[in-house]
Amino acid sequence: MSKEILLDVRHLTQQFHLTKKIKVKAVDDVSFQIHKGEIFGLVGESGSGKSTVARCLMNIYQPAQGEIWYKDVNICDKKEFKKHKKMLQTCRQMIFQDSASSLNQKMKVSDIITEPMRIQHITPPRGSFVKEAAFQMEYVGLENSFLDRYPSELSGGQRQRVAIARSLCMEPEFLVADEPIASLDVSIQAQIVNLFRYLQEEHGFTFLFIAHDLAMVEYLCDRVGVMYHGKLVELAPSEELYSNPVHPYTKTLLSAIPVPDPIRERKRVLQYYDGEGMENSVWTEVSPGHFAMLPAEGKGCSIS
Amino acid sequence: MTNHLFELAGNRKTETVIPKSKKKWYQGKPVVSAAILILIVLGCLCAELIMTKDPAYMDLLNYNKAPDREFLFGTDTMGRDIFSMIWYGGRISILIGGLATVISTFIAVVVGAFSGVAPAWLDELIMRFTEIFLSIPTLLLIILLQAIMGEANILSLSFVIGVTSWTSIAKVVRTEVRQIRNSEYIIAARCMGAGFFRILWKHLVPNFFSSIMFMVVMNVRTAMISEATLSFMGIGLPIEVITWGSMLSLSDKALMTGSWWIILIPGLFLIATVLCLTNIGNACREQTNRKESNF
Amino acid sequence: MRQKKLVYYGKKCLIFLISVFILSVAVFYVARLAPGDPLISYYGDRTEKMSPEEREWAMEKLGLNEPISVQYVKWVKNAFHGEFGISFKYKQNVLEVIGGRIGNTLVLGGIGFIIMFAGALLLGILCAWYENRLADRILCKLGTISSCIPEFWMALVLILIFSVNLKILPSSGAYSTGNAGNFGDRVLHLIMPLTIIVMEHLWYYAYMIRNKILEEVRADYVLLAKAKGLNKKKLMFRHCVRNVMPAYLSIMAIAVPHILGGTYVVESVFSYPGIGALSYESARYHDYNLLMLLCMISGILVIFCNIVSQTINEQIDPRMKDEVITEKSEVVEG
Repeated sequence: MSKEILLDVRHLTQQFHLTKKIKVKAVDDVSFQIHKGEIFGLVGESGSGKSTVARCLMNIYQPAQGEIWYKDVNICDKKEFKKHKKMLQTCRQMIFQDSASSLNQKMKVSDIITEPMRIQHITPPRGSFVKEAAFQMEYVGLENSFLDRYPSELSGGQRQRVAIARSLCMEPEFLVADEPIASLDVSIQAQIVNLFRYLQEEHGFTFLFIAHDLAMVEYLCDRVGVMYHGKLVELAPSEELYSNPVHPYTKTLLSAIPVPDPIRERKRVLQYYDGEGMENSVWTEVSPGHFAMLPAEGKGCSIS
Repeated sequence: MTNHLFELAGNRKTETVIPKSKKKWYQGKPVVSAAILILIVLGCLCAELIMTKDPAYMDLLNYNKAPDREFLFGTDTMGRDIFSMIWYGGRISILIGGLATVISTFIAVVVGAFSGVAPAWLDELIMRFTEIFLSIPTLLLIILLQAIMGEANILSLSFVIGVTSWTSIAKVVRTEVRQIRNSEYIIAARCMGAGFFRILWKHLVPNFFSSIMFMVVMNVRTAMISEATLSFMGIGLPIEVITWGSMLSLSDKALMTGSWWIILIPGLFLIATVLCLTNIGNACREQTNRKESNF
Repeated sequence: MRQKKLVYYGKKCLIFLISVFILSVAVFYVARLAPGDPLISYYGDRTEKMSPEEREWAMEKLGLNEPISVQYVKWVKNAFHGEFGISFKYKQNVLEVIGGRIGNTLVLGGIGFIIMFAGALLLGILCAWYENRLADRILCKLGTISSCIPEFWMALVLILIFSVNLKILPSSGAYSTGNAGNFGDRVLHLIMPLTIIVMEHLWYYAYMIRNKILEEVRADYVLLAKAKGLNKKKLMFRHCVRNVMPAYLSIMAIAVPHILGGTYVVESVFSYPGIGALSYESARYHDYNLLMLLCMISGILVIFCNIVSQTINEQIDPRMKDEVITEKSEVVEG
């Protein structure tokens, strides 16, 4: 795996206005980097700001503060974004959580899959739009007979495959998947995760995978970031994180994974974390490549 | 490792069972209304073949005649053959209905969709303006618009009716768009770089079309009634332009002589058309009360 | 909480005032910018023979030679003092012109509204009670058909039957000549116009209320109440009808402008001396002051009713700020 940095998020902060006065900090000073060709996982409980980060990366939200560098383009800057709009819109693709609402119910599957090409006015490399759609469907493991169906006629897993096919047809470099498996049942989740793995090895795209299922993340991702209340609290390669969690919240999360062994399961102790000591924590490098938000007692080496 | 893992995710042949439909195709569809409507429309389109007399010719010897063998529906107070006028005039009546609806639907979709995707303050502003627009008496608006447009003709009348009847559709479009605009497929399309008009045309319109379909059909009906009312009151088309409405504007004189055919026949044709349209419109509307009654 | 309410209603009032203001500006400008010669309505046929100087003088006398904005400011100033100018055609104060006629419209529209107000609810309950039975179906079909019949045509047919052929009802006016004080005579003249107004709208609103009640009947609490052993009658009147009440009031508030619009057409067919015929005349003959006041009256009524119905809706369900009440778009409104 190369160490070339594809995406660099620096001090990203995003707020939402509930009313005119009350603000919610959905993402608070988050910094991380994604290397080219890796699968980066982002975990955390619901409402911890994972989706907001993803949407900022896709320019759906304009962040309040901070910079996001994609290759050498600052995509938070409106002028630069406009200049590189076409490149950004083709290179980055997104897969949404709820496949039922991310596919237009009134469009046929084949139209949905080729929609990005039509928008960007790209001539399909495989002759026609229909052939292109058929190819992509084959690729994600769907029959050609689905081409003329509508999303409502498909099952959840099949719909999610259609969404994946849609994002793949642009041959993206960077793929953001916002909890793509959360709305599926367990057996389908396994299928989709395997599909991601397979596709990533075939295409070699860089992949940001957002989930709250830790087991899936451990299985799929190379590096994992843990988010808690809008803050990134720990970032480490996945083996390292699962074997040696440092931050108390990570420990809590890991302790919550059910173990398929009754004897060990009974011994499992649930931990609780209520966010104590979050205020004066510092981003510290625990061991090479393993960062955590720890109370500021030692000399933390802050990265930017 | 990938290959055998991927098998889990591989294609599985699924059986497709097409349920045999118990209902006949015409059940729950307004067949009778559609048939009558088609008959009337066809009759109007092929008016030249059906007409027995020149509709504009004023036969001064045979004015105000009750229906008989020669004049199937009688003649009006100016000596014109009503049977021929019905088919000839229906053309213009239906044309005005359609044209006005196209104009009003277009305005409604553009204003409604714009208001739906606009930020809250702009949306509020647009909605207030439509409300104020609504509160100007339509009759007055029509008279003033007519004054500005000059002599009334088919186009200007359709325009005037269209411009004064778009507000209710616009409101529905706006509500629908507000609901749809935060769906993920809109966000997805925006991520892919689709522009406003593409999103409007490809994503928004197909999704709210079914909910305004009923209102669009109803608008044809309203426009036709409007045309008749305006022509009857003397602010629509002049009496020389034959429509069902302008034929009825002779009814003042007809009342004095008791010539019922001048009033009844054009009116019945108008009502038949409009009623068929309403039935079709009602069928377009999805049944909302499908749920069983608790009583 | 109280203060919040106050702010809420204050906001509504502000919206009302702004709407009225914009309406007045719009009508004032549009009326004056529309081509046509206002002098004709004042001087009649003499206008054509007038010399340019005479015209100039006449324009000045009527205050029409100034820029429109100046005229508007003057009009507003006078309006606050209760002076709305004179009618060009009747050469009287517009208040007097309208005062002489508004009573007739109020009687016609008012009685029509009251009949509809009660009738629509009763019919709505009746239909919901006998849902999908013969009575319900007949009423619904009647509603569809009546909504397809143009008001003026129904009026013509009624005149044809009752005045021309049967000769039992008078065909025009509010009273026969010399019988202005005769109560019975007035009632006789009211029968047909009133029938038209009620017939035209009653079914439609009854249908709307029926659907509202049926929505209510399908709610789960009705099932619960039924399981509890409440009988159908009590259930209908204590729960369903009561819950429908706010929606009913809001529908009725929207109905006011429609009935007003209906009276205009009916008045012109029956040559009934009300303000409907008057506003039609004033718009056609550029009788600015009269037109302005009539528009303001009907506009204020419409805006007021809209705001009332909106407020009721927001009270029922705060989410309803975007709610659409499917309006019956009518040819001639307010």
